[in-house]
Amino acid sequence: MKKTYLRQSFDTGIIFGIVHIFCVLIAFNAMLGSLLAKIVNVTSSLTSPAVGALIAYAVILGLWAGIASALRQRELSDGKRLLASLVTGSSSGLLAAVLVGIFQLMLILNINPRDYLTNLSLPFMQACLYSLPGLLGILANFFTFLISAFVGGLLVVGWNLHGFASIRHQINNAPKNWIAKLRSGSAKKQLIQKYVFYALLFVLIAILPLEWGSYWNYVIGTVGLYVIMGLGLNIIVGLSGQLVLGYIAFFAIGAYTMALLNAPIPHNLMWGFWPALVLAILLAALAGFLLGLPLMRLRGDYLAIVTLGFGEIIRILLNSDLLTSFSGGPRGVQGIHGPTIFGQVFSDVNYMYLIILAVALAMYVYNRLQHSRTGRAWLAIREDETVARATGVNTNKYKLLALVIGAGFAGLAGAISAAMNQFIGPGDQSLMASINVLCEIIVGGMGNIPGTLLGAFALKGLPELLREVENFRMLAFGALLVAMMILRPEGLIPSQRPTLELPEETPPATSSTLTDAAKIKPPEENPHD
Amino acid sequence: MHHSPTKSIARKAVIAIMTADIPHDLKKKGNQLLKLIRPLLGGIVGLFLIYRLYVILIVEHPYGPDTWTRLLIAGLILGGVYSLIAIGYTLVYGILFMINFAHGDVMMLGAFGGYFVFEALNALKVGIDAKSNFLNVYPYYSIIIAFIVGMTVAALTGYFLEKIAYRPLRKAPRLVPLISAIGASIFLENAVELLFSPQLRNYTNPDILHRGSGWTIVINHSNVIVPYTGVFSFLLSAILLVIVYTIVRKTRLGRAMRAVALDKKTAALMGVDVDSTISQTFILSGALAGAAGVMFGIHNGLIYYYTGFIPGIKAFTAAVLGGIGNLPGAMLGGMFLGIVESVGPAALGIDFQLKDVLAFVILILVLIFKPSGLLGESLAEEKL
Repeated sequence: MKKTYLRQSFDTGIIFGIVHIFCVLIAFNAMLGSLLAKIVNVTSSLTSPAVGALIAYAVILGLWAGIASALRQRELSDGKRLLASLVTGSSSGLLAAVLVGIFQLMLILNINPRDYLTNLSLPFMQACLYSLPGLLGILANFFTFLISAFVGGLLVVGWNLHGFASIRHQINNAPKNWIAKLRSGSAKKQLIQKYVFYALLFVLIAILPLEWGSYWNYVIGTVGLYVIMGLGLNIIVGLSGQLVLGYIAFFAIGAYTMALLNAPIPHNLMWGFWPALVLAILLAALAGFLLGLPLMRLRGDYLAIVTLGFGEIIRILLNSDLLTSFSGGPRGVQGIHGPTIFGQVFSDVNYMYLIILAVALAMYVYNRLQHSRTGRAWLAIREDETVARATGVNTNKYKLLALVIGAGFAGLAGAISAAMNQFIGPGDQSLMASINVLCEIIVGGMGNIPGTLLGAFALKGLPELLREVENFRMLAFGALLVAMMILRPEGLIPSQRPTLELPEETPPATSSTLTDAAKIKPPEENPHD
Repeated sequence: MHHSPTKSIARKAVIAIMTADIPHDLKKKGNQLLKLIRPLLGGIVGLFLIYRLYVILIVEHPYGPDTWTRLLIAGLILGGVYSLIAIGYTLVYGILFMINFAHGDVMMLGAFGGYFVFEALNALKVGIDAKSNFLNVYPYYSIIIAFIVGMTVAALTGYFLEKIAYRPLRKAPRLVPLISAIGASIFLENAVELLFSPQLRNYTNPDILHRGSGWTIVINHSNVIVPYTGVFSFLLSAILLVIVYTIVRKTRLGRAMRAVALDKKTAALMGVDVDSTISQTFILSGALAGAAGVMFGIHNGLIYYYTGFIPGIKAFTAAVLGGIGNLPGAMLGGMFLGIVESVGPAALGIDFQLKDVLAFVILILVLIFKPSGLLGESLAEEKL
């Protein structure tokens, strides 16, 4: 049943070809091309992309196909690996050629498929043919893939030649050496390093909000709010192992509490920011408690669906006529009053400091909880609830506690967000927002603070920097979630909960937060002795 | 020598964990609270239902029998669609113990498959007359082709979904495939949005299934229309349900499916190809979802990339309601949910906007009071 290497390479090429066709049909090639074009200052748009941009995209995909194909045939000779990359290039090129062949046909017959396939405008199809007439465009597409795949194969083969052995060795070991260098030196030196680092960080945090301008304060402020929510959800999902899908509902409860207590319409209560903030956190936590109480006996996947239903109920209620007089309905609540400092209304800089303070507080609470008895009980529940219960952990109590604390975090973020934006509407409370937060902690790495920070920047900060990507963002999230679950379920920065108590049996370096049974490390132990 | 202190600390930590929360009074209090909440909630819900029935039937009479009939018909039609989708959830859950979160999107893709067939056949001219297109000259063939294409598209989606997103995760803990399924769902929705644009698309039905026309019956001096599309989709879903039931109960594939659901290892030892059985389950459930999608399109008219999500969640509710893993349960749950959703808002005196809330509230109530569903989970498993 084992396929020959040529057949394998052919199949690889077909897969790359299908990916290519999909990318073209959703105009991903134009997006990637325009990103590349931006670097060299060429204008290229999604509807009529520059030919060079599209070629650049095809070359990248072709290179990737060639490299993948050559890497797959690890045990074969160099010549055969090159042949494999050629076969891959030709089969993926064939599919690309068929696609542009159809484009050419439609151009000749004057068929406009735009009503059905929304991206295939005439200039777009022409650009995909590299603006070449007749068969030339089709052949050009084929040979772009063939040649770039071959070059990819050459790169792989060349990389493995003996001459490059030392360079290869250095590059492969660079991260390891770098970390080893940082960790060398006495404990005292490390301590000094640590303090210097924190001092620099503190100065940076104190100065940056003043210098950034309001736009960056807004962007980073949003990222900060997402960090708080990510930490909250991490307590529920990452530490105690309960999948909650309607997390944004708690955010909504916090935000609406702040809004209804501090906006002129509909109630004109004007409690002031701080009491409202406290009440927002308490109400969100109470909602978590009330939701969790009857659900504690449920299996993990049922809990996910129920909380999803809860999130949807909150969203539909906020949108409905029933609550319009109470919470503003679909229009939302406007003109929310923020906090004041010395009689002055908070500026964006003040908000930035407030968010930084809130993030620091959230991190502190998270960190203390994680390394407390409560945190260890959560871990025990996450790894095996039956065993946890058998060893005397009151699982219901701790699961509820996680839900309550996590919900409180979301309430905090919601309240600050409502005051900062001076507006809150039901549109912000969709399921996708919940899934965004979930993505954030899964991408970064479940159950740890650096992972949450990274995830928040990647998911909220990056799309602000790369506006072109906006349309493809959710698509990428979806693909990323699947890929992360298959390839790296522990996240980009795996949780550091090393299995130190049994050093003679060296366990695998990356312990998945979800799969491996994490051994419990006493918190007072220093791992770098 | 170096290891011993570390070990003793570790032992202390383990002991600390093992002895955590021994105080019994605390534990008892928590459990008492949990025990109290169920009868309390049940009492509230029950009292409310009795009060509403009293108001509707004895005090107010807000709607005549004609309105109730209309609502009931709409509910039955909706219930048929829910049943078909719910069966897909139940089959997959019964075998893999995972919620196929992307199942609603498989249905959406099926709906799009049928839509494109109708569009193409509508554009295909078969005669000199400008109006004579394939769709209306051969309406029966057109409908059959649309269903075949829609079901094939959905079945293929289901097949590849399992192969790419779920199969590598079969041995992973339960939440991992669920997250993967959520990712697949987001991916499918956004891929369709990017491919076909986010606009709403109007299903072009053949004239014999014109939306809005149907048989008229007179109840209480008022015309009640029984739409052709509704009767068509109800009958078709009933036929498909019988076929699926027969497949699962009587055929070799069905026996293999039930064997895999009970115990994968033993089934493999008995010569059942587990992988291919699981693939075929996904194909079967995908095809059913595809048929449901085409029916949804024909009856409701408008589809877009998000079409599958809400019916998907509701069908899952239906599957849980009937007892997940239980085929007749899924059918019953689907019908029940369809009727409740359509009749419920009027009976309970709440806004029709809130009919989705009703479905989710039912889901939460079922999971709180009877997580094993109305008919029970036929393929019971360890609960944790």
